[in-house]
Amino acid sequence: MTSITMDQPQQSRLFAAIHQGKIAVLRCWAYLGFIGGASALAMFGSNYSESGYIFQLLSMSGVVWGGAGMLVGIGVGAVLTRSDDTDSPNWQSKLVPWLDGVVVLLLLMGLWTLFEPAASQISYTDQSNLVSVRTIMAMKVLFLFSAACYIAQLFAPESFIGKVASWCAWGGVYAGGSSLLLRWYESYQFLGGEIGHAPVSNLYEVFILLCCVISIIYLSFERRYRTTGLGAFVMFLVAAAVLFIIWLGSYGEADIKPLVPALQSYWMKIHVPMNFVGYGSFAVACAAGMAWLVRARLERSGKNAKLLAIFPSLDQLDQLSYRAVSIGFPAFTLATILGAVWASQAWGGYWSWDPKETWALIVLLVYGAWLHVRVSHGWSGRVLAWWSVTAFVVTLFCFVGVNMYLSGLHSYGHLG
Amino acid sequence: MTQKNLPSLIKILLARLGTMPLAILLLIVLALASSIGTVLLQNQGQTDYLQQFGPLWYWVLRALGMFDMYHSWWFIALLGFLMASVGACLWRNVPRMLGEMRARKITLPDRIWKRMENQQQWEVKGTSVDQVVAQVRTLLPGWDWLQDERDGATWLRGDRGRYHKWGYILVHSAILVILIGGWLSVHYGFRGNMSVPEKGQEKEISFVQGSGVGHLTMPFSVRCNKFHIEFFPNGMPKEFRSNLTIIDHGKEVMTKDIIVNGPLYYKGVRIFQASFGDGGSDINLKLYHLDGSGTTSMAHTAVYDTWKDPTTGVSLEITDFKPYNVENMGDPGKAKKFQDLGPAVEFVLRGKGLKSVKIKSFMNPFVLGDDDRGSFMMVSLTGDAKDYQAVPLGLDFSNPKEWKLFNAFVGRLAQRTSKKSGESGREANINAFKQAVVDVFGDKRPANLPQMGTRVVQSVKTLMQMPWPFLPVLENYDQVYYTGLQLTQDPGINVVWVGSGLLVFGLCIMFYMSHRKIWLRVIKTGETGVNLHLAGRSNRNPLAFTEEFHQLFNKLQQGCGIDTKSTKESL
Repeated sequence: MTSITMDQPQQSRLFAAIHQGKIAVLRCWAYLGFIGGASALAMFGSNYSESGYIFQLLSMSGVVWGGAGMLVGIGVGAVLTRSDDTDSPNWQSKLVPWLDGVVVLLLLMGLWTLFEPAASQISYTDQSNLVSVRTIMAMKVLFLFSAACYIAQLFAPESFIGKVASWCAWGGVYAGGSSLLLRWYESYQFLGGEIGHAPVSNLYEVFILLCCVISIIYLSFERRYRTTGLGAFVMFLVAAAVLFIIWLGSYGEADIKPLVPALQSYWMKIHVPMNFVGYGSFAVACAAGMAWLVRARLERSGKNAKLLAIFPSLDQLDQLSYRAVSIGFPAFTLATILGAVWASQAWGGYWSWDPKETWALIVLLVYGAWLHVRVSHGWSGRVLAWWSVTAFVVTLFCFVGVNMYLSGLHSYGHLG
Repeated sequence: MTQKNLPSLIKILLARLGTMPLAILLLIVLALASSIGTVLLQNQGQTDYLQQFGPLWYWVLRALGMFDMYHSWWFIALLGFLMASVGACLWRNVPRMLGEMRARKITLPDRIWKRMENQQQWEVKGTSVDQVVAQVRTLLPGWDWLQDERDGATWLRGDRGRYHKWGYILVHSAILVILIGGWLSVHYGFRGNMSVPEKGQEKEISFVQGSGVGHLTMPFSVRCNKFHIEFFPNGMPKEFRSNLTIIDHGKEVMTKDIIVNGPLYYKGVRIFQASFGDGGSDINLKLYHLDGSGTTSMAHTAVYDTWKDPTTGVSLEITDFKPYNVENMGDPGKAKKFQDLGPAVEFVLRGKGLKSVKIKSFMNPFVLGDDDRGSFMMVSLTGDAKDYQAVPLGLDFSNPKEWKLFNAFVGRLAQRTSKKSGESGREANINAFKQAVVDVFGDKRPANLPQMGTRVVQSVKTLMQMPWPFLPVLENYDQVYYTGLQLTQDPGINVVWVGSGLLVFGLCIMFYMSHRKIWLRVIKTGETGVNLHLAGRSNRNPLAFTEEFHQLFNKLQQGCGIDTKSTKESL
């Protein structure tokens, strides 16, 4: 199959070879089978406990259940897949890169644990020995450097610096993602393992997650739509988030701390990451809006044609903004609903008009209005671009501002 | 406005209801209105509001229902308006959309052919029309096909994602369903709090209702057998656990532990762990009289009681007791160092000629490392917990000998200065202290005498300046907690979940599914040849569809015979 349309990315042969073909399809089925087996272990296996599950998965019973699931998955895949289908793009070839990425993250995390200092050198009061401190530092450096490269690329469109920028961003994603997994593991290393919890419990941790999510969404756009110019704006936002992480760290917020009772629920692991898919895509939509405004201004002034060479067109930017919202809006809606389910099980009501809940609703209303404006066609791209920038400011307030300035049930994010 | 204009206004409103501009306006107004309640704290005490805003603004805001704005008439009206708008929008669009989904034109007129962006035309030799049609149907099995013969041509129309418009319908109806569920919850459910002291039982819940408090009696009583807090090794709370017994018609029907995130369910009512506090602990305060007599007395009282001294008229209103007081002992701006300062009781001290103050009195002295810095209390002159200031008392009151030594020292010092023995102040101090040590300890001096001496000498100044006739220090306690429970009944909750499910499902259809249509015209050419003309369009995401169209074309071109020759290539 040789038809490559204008908009299809010219992926490198290596990636095409890894993500397509029979092996990729069967690998995808194997992953899905493993997930199925691991879930079955949680539901039907003996001795399931929430905090011990990950260790159970790494033990013999995990190998048995997960391995069996994997074999079943491969079997199902082999039966369902006809050989002539494996070469053309299919859902497996879209899904398998993500699952591969997760495996790489897990392997990296396993690798980092080998460098963990001896138990006697780790203490709750001084956490500076932990390896995650170093890997998080690597993530910060990579993201900042990537942002600098993307911005430099605007002025040197043909230079290899754009490649460097993408690779640094990918590096940052893997460093950040594996750091979070490592932090999860490390949280079990203190105080007799009592305080272990998923690394989505305070602003420091979720900002690392946010940086990674924004970058992943952008990079997948870049791969699919070849939108390198947008990277300068997206990574500018990520760089700002990295500076915020550094500032939080200087306030002693970087430490792993126990979970307050209100957060001790499996819902935290579902609700919080889902929210960040929303926040991350709204950030990308905002960056596309910013790029639209900058491009419109440059076009009007008639100068700097060289700068424009790498910018996506106004129409494309508008499309990208919509694409980002079309990921973010359903994800954020689902996250808010999951939050309501959690609230109904922990606080006694699915909706309490708590400031965080109310602001989540406001965010949905603002993007809902944006979508309606977009469909009604009456308004120009400029209004939409400004709207996506403003809406992101509202989102930011929902995300950080509410925790910092307003009190309520979500006030565990307070800065001290 | 005259009477004549009114009906036309309603007409206009009805006509505008459910239109796009109104929807956008409504969403923005709702967003702005919702934000008010997050800035203005809701459901606080009325006196707090009065203090904060002054009488005029208080009454204005109160009249607008701003203190409980999410239940005020105008906010409910706004939500009602949203429902009306969504309803009108559905009313207007659903029939048209259903019609569009049903009507599928099999043939395409020429003028539309020309406008189609995605089209391909090619010829196949050595086959027949019927054979090609059959091949197309097997090559593209996922498509929903219609077939027709017209003007000597065979037409095939395929659809994918035909039900895309259901996304719109589902999302908008889901909003109605969720709002109806919320209305059911508010009108037929309840949500209130009760505080049950350990060993006590309670039947009534209370909740905020407008600017007052409403009460509701449950069909059963709840007894709290025990409330327990578990801590992490670093002193942060790990778990709040209440052991509850439900008593229905005098019978104990259920005994269960609840924790935060782990409620109890009985007869349609959920019982949640919401808060905790002191349930009226017994408190014994030791009063150290500062009149120079060196005497002490005990005050036996309990939290929420007021104890009054008959001789001086000073009263102590006990407001709270906490067995643990974990405070940050690190320097500001540095890493936090938490330390448990031990049990403390809070009370308000009032008396004739005395400024009433709020005091938090600790049972244990303040020990930093190995250094005993003596007992201390926190005093707030304003009565607000924010204004607490630490007041070191000098003496370690947990050691009775130290109080004795202090009094002996003060007595001896007074003797020496009244005799005018000609000693310097420093000598008098030293000699008085030596005498006092002999008075209290005889020959057996304790090992920590030097530190004790420093504390005694230091405390002379602080204790003598105290304005109160006695110093109340927490001596011992018998703690009783109350557990704060939230009881809820919510008949609308399942409706809300159904609505939420529809909403997410509908959004997924709306955002990720597109209605793609393809047309194929097959015309017989010559003896054994056919001419195929393929066109397609999608209602959204044109870039992705162009790609998909190319793949379809390639598949058909390769699958419908070998003798192919492309005659027109778009893009």
